[in-house]
Amino acid sequence: MAGEKGGGEYAFEGLAVPEELGRVHDLLAQAAVEHPEVPSRDLMLFETAVIEIANNVVEHGRPHGQVSWRMTVMIGEDAIEADLYDSGAEFGVDLHAVMPDVEAEGGRGLAIAEAVLDGIELEHSKEGNHWRLMRRFTAS
Amino acid sequence: MELTENRTDRYVVLMPKGKFNLISAPSAKAHIDALVAAGQSRIVVDLSGVDFIDSSGLGALIGALKSARLASGDVRIAAAGEQVRAVLSLTNLDRILVPFETVEAAAHGW
Repeated sequence: MAGEKGGGEYAFEGLAVPEELGRVHDLLAQAAVEHPEVPSRDLMLFETAVIEIANNVVEHGRPHGQVSWRMTVMIGEDAIEADLYDSGAEFGVDLHAVMPDVEAEGGRGLAIAEAVLDGIELEHSKEGNHWRLMRRFTAS
Repeated sequence: MELTENRTDRYVVLMPKGKFNLISAPSAKAHIDALVAAGQSRIVVDLSGVDFIDSSGLGALIGALKSARLASGDVRIAAAGEQVRAVLSLTNLDRILVPFETVEAAAHGW
């Protein structure tokens, strides 16, 4: 299931596999069309961050290919937020990642997300992992 | 992501179309590595058809750039859109992957 739940809230759920990453883009594209008041650059940078976190879940979620996830995106008056729940095993994440050297071929995902988000939190529980991501709208 | 190739007598232009991401990056990197192995190490990647790039796509471009430079060539990028430019800037990669406006500007000197 995917789509707007009302009140500027959008959600989908499914399996955290590469083929499902397009649904994250689709959800944000729908939000953009229905909320033209959201500054396009903020939405674009938020999408960039959310995809990096989603990539992380797809790549590191265990058992591989069997992790389910649920994403909710909320459009507020001055910020956009996403909640991402996944059922995978707990994994170590450095939430203060440093941007790697320009020659590095990997390790940029979390650093990019941190650079463009105003809030990034990760909680582990028996049910899995819960990411909370937020970007405030830039004053125009 | 589709990947179209156009060869001139001096360089190769690659035109990816779609999302340059976790899914498409490995095959794009393999394509460039195969070109370099075949002696075609001057490559312009025309990014006008790429509406989104993630860190996997960036990693593929950096890997390809390093392969090409080892073979005395280069990978240059052209016509990047707003999201691609923003991510290049955030990661400081615009220092080594300078975003040229056009393919012709990127291929200057070849």
